[in-house]
Amino acid sequence: MSGALYVGVDLGSSATKCVVLDETTTLVGYHVVKSGFDYVEAGQVALHHALAKAEGEPADVAYCVSTGYGRERVALANRRVTEITCHARGAREWYPAVRNIIDVGGQDTKVIRLSEGGRMADYRMNAKCAAGTGTFLESTAHKLDLSLQQLDELAMTSTEPAVVNSYCTVFAGTEVIERIKEGQPARDIAMGLFRSIATRVSEMLAVRDGAVAVTGGVAAHCRALVRALEEVLETEVLLPPMPQYAGAFGAALLATETNDAERSSTSHVAHR
Amino acid sequence: MSATAAKRIKIKSQERLGALMREHFLDLDEAARDPQRRVAWCTSVGPCEILTAMGFETYFPENHGALLGARRVSHELIPRAVAIGYCAESCSYMTSDIGSTLAGVSPLTEAFGIDGPPNPDLLVYSTNQCREVQDWWGFHGRRTDAAVMGVCPPSHLGEVTREHVAFVSGLLERLVEKIEHRFGATLDRDRLKEVVALSSRASALWRQVLDTARARPAALTFFDGVIHMAPVILMRGSQKAIDYYETLLAELNQRIADGVGGIPEERFRIYWEGMPIWPKVRELAEKFFDLRTVVAASTYCNSWAFDEYDGGDPIEWMARTSIEIFINRDEVSKQKFLSEMFNRFEIDGAIFHNARTCPNNTNSRFGMAQRVRDEMDMPVLVLDGDLSDVRFFSTAQTMTNIEAFIEQLEECKR
Ligand code: SF4
Repeated sequence: MSGALYVGVDLGSSATKCVVLDETTTLVGYHVVKSGFDYVEAGQVALHHALAKAEGEPADVAYCVSTGYGRERVALANRRVTEITCHARGAREWYPAVRNIIDVGGQDTKVIRLSEGGRMADYRMNAKCAAGTGTFLESTAHKLDLSLQQLDELAMTSTEPAVVNSYCTVFAGTEVIERIKEGQPARDIAMGLFRSIATRVSEMLAVRDGAVAVTGGVAAHCRALVRALEEVLETEVLLPPMPQYAGAFGAALLATETNDAERSSTSHVAHR
Repeated sequence: MSATAAKRIKIKSQERLGALMREHFLDLDEAARDPQRRVAWCTSVGPCEILTAMGFETYFPENHGALLGARRVSHELIPRAVAIGYCAESCSYMTSDIGSTLAGVSPLTEAFGIDGPPNPDLLVYSTNQCREVQDWWGFHGRRTDAAVMGVCPPSHLGEVTREHVAFVSGLLERLVEKIEHRFGATLDRDRLKEVVALSSRASALWRQVLDTARARPAALTFFDGVIHMAPVILMRGSQKAIDYYETLLAELNQRIADGVGGIPEERFRIYWEGMPIWPKVRELAEKFFDLRTVVAASTYCNSWAFDEYDGGDPIEWMARTSIEIFINRDEVSKQKFLSEMFNRFEIDGAIFHNARTCPNNTNSRFGMAQRVRDEMDMPVLVLDGDLSDVRFFSTAQTMTNIEAFIEQLEECKR
């Protein structure tokens, strides 16, 4: 492989994603691994496989931007940028006209608002509790002895979603038990869980103006989330081709955009 | 010079502050043991000048709450208060102070070698800041022999009118009568004038200290301010506070002359709305330092910057200043104040701290952050946390939020 490569590594709480772009910002490699206990290792493994797909090697990497909770642990990173900026950048590339981006991640959910010119104008993160995040879905699915995929499949057959209101993951679990006791069908309870996430998201969406884009691992795996968002927000929900990679893609795009001056500058995020 | 290579230049007066605090608390401790002297506990923006003028030594429990938070022990003590029925989501100054009383431990022991807060003869509060203080003082009233006396002025005021001031003056006069009656003392009005003049002078100097953050680079940051504000709360009405602020101000003015700032190469200037996050003050100071961003001004530190006393009726001055404070005003007045502060300190972005247990000092709860963003075109960030209880705080999420906010400001600047 010849030519410089630009890398984005998104070291999230559940999964580590890596995207490799070439000089023309064409996607040439990507990979995802579980973050597990060793973030450094996860970053290296994701990078290794993504570079292999791109037929490149570490020496070809012209610039690397890391993002996500573990962004400090990516040794190769020249610059560290938060997942908020990276998701915004990634989603904007896919949908230049979209003003609201919803990222449902493992630990938190974010709603990012872009200005007309595509700049980040505002953002909000869910407060404290896991309700409204991927962890909430996973833990509830686990209690019901289902995988996330099974929960999603079940929810997609729902005709009358059950009501799961609670702000708290533990209380939501209790509510699920209540619904089971009442004899509500499993499919409707499953959809109720996705609806509760969508309701939390709706609380963070200050301006509603047209389609929203949804990114993050949960959206990648759960069609029911997209449906729930569409129903609750009453708007078109755009699911990009690689929702889980939005952060890493945005990071890689930022890597290509970092100019020479910035590279040699002592920006606060560089080489920390 | 990169931010990481740069070192924080310490404010030298801090050493003097340490000695001053020590002297203050040792004297309070002595006063509490001396049958000839009396100790009154007072809320931080309460009528302390009257108490000083009547010969009481004043002690401020909120400072103890802040100390418990800053020493990161609140979350260990709050469960004691919760166990006797105080809600974990009520003021964590109150719950940690009550917990500390129940557990018989206090950071004052480690800091100054004293047993803990001085025993009170009198407990005085004003609800010009919140109703929580009434319940908090009530707890201490029930466990001691001290009399509890409160002033409940009108709250959420728009314009502060003559009628408001006259009404609160009446409340203060009645408080004086009650104290005189209970303790057989008389308020010497000339002495009150003197104390109010000293208080006002300390407050004016404090305002000048805060104003040194208008310089670029700002001579002091919010995180310095929350430390150096102690004398204007604990010792206002005394010459000691004035002497301290004169020294501090001289040092900060010298910093400005030398081009020295709290943050070298500052890139952005932030306003902090709401309570400090005491257990995280140092970490946050370091984060903003790394981001080369100065938190240049705050509502909190400004809460003790009162209007100057003109030599008139001291009770009237106390009445007016006590209801004019930000926390006691309506939304329109608060937003007007914020707008003036943003201009005065050339602010690039405002952070609203959603302090879980202090609704009265949390203005993001009723949409003010969004209104500030939309009406003043000011980027805003709402941080979830608490003044003392770290269980309401996520370090990783907060730090990411702050970094993302600075990235947003960078994008705005491009
Ligand atoms: S203003 Fe807030 S922190 Fe202060 S005493 Fe009242 S509730 Fe507690």
